[in-house]
Amino acid sequence: MKRTTRILLFAALSVLGAAFVLIGAFSGQALAVLNKAIRVCLECIGIG
Amino acid sequence: MAKERRVKGEWKRLSVQAAMFLLQNPKLQNFFLGTIDTGKTKVLCAPGLNCYSCPAAAGACPIGSLQSALSPQKPKFPFYVLGFLLLFGVLFGRWICSHVCPFGLVQDLIYKIPFPKKIRTFRGERILRLLKYAVLLVLVIGLTLFDTLVPYFCKYLCPSGTLFGAIPLTVSNPMLRGQIGLLFWWKIGVLALLLLLSVPIARPFCRWLCPLGAIYGLFNRFALLGMIFDENRCVGCGACETVCPMGIDPKGQVDSAECIRCGRCIRACPTGSLARRFGFASQAHKKSTM
Repeated sequence: MKRTTRILLFAALSVLGAAFVLIGAFSGQALAVLNKAIRVCLECIGIG
Repeated sequence: MAKERRVKGEWKRLSVQAAMFLLQNPKLQNFFLGTIDTGKTKVLCAPGLNCYSCPAAAGACPIGSLQSALSPQKPKFPFYVLGFLLLFGVLFGRWICSHVCPFGLVQDLIYKIPFPKKIRTFRGERILRLLKYAVLLVLVIGLTLFDTLVPYFCKYLCPSGTLFGAIPLTVSNPMLRGQIGLLFWWKIGVLALLLLLSVPIARPFCRWLCPLGAIYGLFNRFALLGMIFDENRCVGCGACETVCPMGIDPKGQVDSAECIRCGRCIRACPTGSLARRFGFASQAHKKSTM
């Protein structure tokens, strides 16, 4: 892969990733992740 | 079948893996309390397959969180979790698999158990490797979108959740232990099979089933952390291929989605033709100065 392509892809996806995290955080998705993570996931442990 | 060859310096990577395990799972006391951490750090997605029902976990599992966000009851684009996956992928690619993921560490330790004939790869394994993309598209994304609140991958397959969540919690929590049923034993069976397979074959879960590895592998070609191969220095000894835990040929596949950036090939190479890339050096081979 050409160096320029590599740099462009890295830059674009980094910005996109950071933007997604911020959008998600401000739209309440971060809280949703937290709410799920602080409760025992019964499916994950083979109970639910 | 390649003969297993020892590579110097593996203890450094194992030390990093152990440190990363403790960093992601610092609440060790919860193993005895039969509970999980409810701290605010769980708002952050961990980079590896680290179940948030592991008593010691201080972060959220990215695959579990992704499935939770895809629930059809409140469909929305999972910006937050995808953002984390993009950032981890674009920075590290599958380096996370070899240095951060706790289940990767477990498989590496199990692989150290002596076995008469370690298997590097076998006929038809190429097709098996595609299975992890099917796991991602069907179990993680597809079925979760159509069924209500069932995280299919976590529920039926994830061995990390079984090993680090199910077993410690059911051992230390009598209330959960009383609810063990068929699903629990199915998950134990899946875990046992993968651990058994980890003796003759390195990292079977990473090779064939891990949806997180499937995602990160897509970034290998342009992640900030990568690898470089200098064709001019290579003498074709095959040492790199012999030691590769993923059963690939690093010489021709240095940006392969299968490469977990463990560095064994770099340490095994007698001529220094393989090296880590931190940055955006071109993949074109370096010209000889001789």
